[in-house]
Amino acid sequence: MSDAAPTTASSGRRRWPKRATLLVQYLLLQPFIIVLCLVVLRIPPPEPSPRYLVTDFSLRENGVEQSVTLPHFTASRYTMNDPPLYNGRFTRPGSEPQGAWSVMLPRFTNGVEVAVNGVVILDSRRNPAANRPDRNTPEIAVIPASLLRDGANDLSIRLFVWGPITGFLDRLFVGPDEMLRPSYNARTLLFVTLPVVFSAWQAILAVILGIMWAMRRHEPAYGVLAAAMAIGVTQAFFQTPLQDSAYSRLNSMLISAAPLESAFVLTFALLFFGWKWPRYGWVIFVPGLVVAAATMVGDATLSRKAFLLVGAPAVGLCLIALAVVAGHSVWRRQDAASVMLGCALTIVLTCWALDLLSVFQLVPNRRILLARLSYSAMLVAIGAALTWRFARALNQVDGFAASMVTLVREAEEKLKASFVREEERARAAALARERTRLMRDLHDGLGGQLVSIVALSERGNAGAGIGDAARAALKDLRLVIDSMDDIGGDLMLALGSWRERVTAQLRPHDIALVWRAVGPQGLPVHPELRPWHVIQIVRLLDEAVTNAVKHAGARRITVSIETSSDAQGVDEGIARGRITIEDDGKGFEPGPNGEAAAGQHAARGLRNMRSRAARCGAELELTSDAGGTRVRLTLPRRFPDSDAAAG
Amino acid sequence: MSVLSDQGAAQPISILLVEDDAPTLWRLQDALAKAGFHVTSAATLAEARASLAQSGPKVLLTDLQLPDGHGNELIRETRQRYPDTEIMVISILGDEESVISAITVGATGYLLKDAFPTDIAATVRELVAGHSPISASIARFIVRRTQSTAEPPPGPPLNTAKLTPREIDILWGIAKGFSYAEIAGHLGLSRQTVPGHIKNIYRKLEVHTRGEAVFEALQQGLIRL
Repeated sequence: MSDAAPTTASSGRRRWPKRATLLVQYLLLQPFIIVLCLVVLRIPPPEPSPRYLVTDFSLRENGVEQSVTLPHFTASRYTMNDPPLYNGRFTRPGSEPQGAWSVMLPRFTNGVEVAVNGVVILDSRRNPAANRPDRNTPEIAVIPASLLRDGANDLSIRLFVWGPITGFLDRLFVGPDEMLRPSYNARTLLFVTLPVVFSAWQAILAVILGIMWAMRRHEPAYGVLAAAMAIGVTQAFFQTPLQDSAYSRLNSMLISAAPLESAFVLTFALLFFGWKWPRYGWVIFVPGLVVAAATMVGDATLSRKAFLLVGAPAVGLCLIALAVVAGHSVWRRQDAASVMLGCALTIVLTCWALDLLSVFQLVPNRRILLARLSYSAMLVAIGAALTWRFARALNQVDGFAASMVTLVREAEEKLKASFVREEERARAAALARERTRLMRDLHDGLGGQLVSIVALSERGNAGAGIGDAARAALKDLRLVIDSMDDIGGDLMLALGSWRERVTAQLRPHDIALVWRAVGPQGLPVHPELRPWHVIQIVRLLDEAVTNAVKHAGARRITVSIETSSDAQGVDEGIARGRITIEDDGKGFEPGPNGEAAAGQHAARGLRNMRSRAARCGAELELTSDAGGTRVRLTLPRRFPDSDAAAG
Repeated sequence: MSVLSDQGAAQPISILLVEDDAPTLWRLQDALAKAGFHVTSAATLAEARASLAQSGPKVLLTDLQLPDGHGNELIRETRQRYPDTEIMVISILGDEESVISAITVGATGYLLKDAFPTDIAATVRELVAGHSPISASIARFIVRRTQSTAEPPPGPPLNTAKLTPREIDILWGIAKGFSYAEIAGHLGLSRQTVPGHIKNIYRKLEVHTRGEAVFEALQQGLIRL
């Protein structure tokens, strides 16, 4: 049972007691089923009133005459010549109403020829169904009125026997047709019509399973079962031949159908219940093939012997193997299909064992063979189980679709919710970042200017200073507001506003602003440009202009905007923008660190400019001499994402 | 010098100045009066309406936030009743929120509250001469609205459907800080025509009536009946 252990040991151990209980229940159920079968089978098949029984005969067999009482078994024979002849008589009382009289033979193997008063009225060999020993075909024959005499009548029966099973003649009935016919009809229904119905069902099953297999090639179990069904149907509807004919040899191969069919069913069960196909699995087909081979090379006698010696035990072994597979499946899968198949198999096995005992006359019996019939019943169970499983699979598909819809909707909602949450978080974060930046920008510019306005106003006599500081504050406010606008990475748009502000700033100082933008584009577009870059650059430019106004005493300031075309820029594939601010002022002497020696304020301004350029990844170049100062800002190829130098 | 030439004119230009903040009012009034304009002042909408009823001024300068209402109401009324009056809005920051909304009701220019006195007078004179001032940030705002986006951008509603490609090019030039001469050079125009274009742009952005607004919205597919 080690292979039955589930993949996860822990869950298997937990389910162990439950499994064991189920298996024990299943195993206990089987004897009960067997007993139930035996009880049901003890119910005698329908028979007419014992009044019409004829049981005393004299039997002449192989030249020997003896008195016998039916039912009677004769030895097995392999020839049609000189069959055992039963001679008896029956009496037709004159008082009986004038109706048709019949002879009814409930059961015989294998063939009978019935004669009344020396005239043959029935030869069962004409009836193909009657020739099959596995069908308990009854026979009835109306005695022509002209033959029938009041009083004693002769009745003689030839019993044709073909081996390997022994001959058998059950008690027979002679009487008014109306008294015998009902039980004959009941037996025909049970033993002839019902098997045909089952075979028809089997044929339908073969077609359905065949289609199923054709559509689902990855499930060979259905194909195998379809093959088994097809073999069973062929076997049921083709007749076992008695006379040699062109097709007799081919037809006689059908005798190998039962072992082959049982081998196929076993294969199906193995595949269906998920067994790994055993390495020597093909062995189960050997008996059927041996029987088939025997029919091909030998005569009918050999084939029948082969069937009895090889075929029948093979069928039994297959049935036992099937029962084991079903039992194992009950243990492993604990599903209704396994239990149902197992119980059906127990019934078939019981009937098969009883039939075997009956054939070998090991139990008192009337040779009613039921294995085939019970097997057909089992096929009905298989068909029902498959249909049930199919319906359940459809329901599962529906359920799956419905649950998928629900799942998808749930996932969608979750996703939506998380998206909304994420968006809100991102918005909140952006807002917080923007607020921080705004605070810093306002602090850097506006705050300082307002403080200086306060300081100036407290001194009382600094009207002009207050005005300048307030103006600077307003200018800075406009810059901050302006920088928040989305300029789509085009720094020119920010410089446009800056130009206006600078123009306004320079006008009272009577300083000329020369604006030189090369080409309508001016500067390359930087999609990664952020408001804080813009503020840093514009403040840097402001600082340069303020220095020129306040310290250099310039009369003219030139702003040049161009896109560099130096070799380096071209190599990189991205041109670099360059903004140059020149004045015609008196200049200053750059200190050892490039800082201005003149004045504390200018020094701080220059330091600020350098820091701002560094934060944007831009290069700042300062040259100054007596002829003026030049500030050249070369923009980076790519503006940095984070304000690393901020602090 | 220009002040002298204005004074030389027979009829001084009349200006109605509406501003509720007294120091700002004095400042603007001083600047305009020194430049030779005839200035009437009002501190509320009601005063302004009364003054308008007495005489239709050549120029209306109005603040937006007034104690008894919004300056845009005054602009709209003035535009309807005195079509010849040039209207300017007085703005602290010259931001698009205030200026654009004033333009759509009929203003054709704006004035910064902290502008230098000479600039104030110059701007008004330019306006009277038919030259509407426009700032880089206002131009930027307008051209951004001409670019179709899935979501309506923030800010006051603005219908730019009537602007011609040339006018949009001019706005781009202004937004990028080019002077009128440079824009005229890039676009192959005469320098003198650029201010006229700008006034046209303002006029085209104006929504005259409620009915016209609905009609334009229909044309642009903004609303569906």
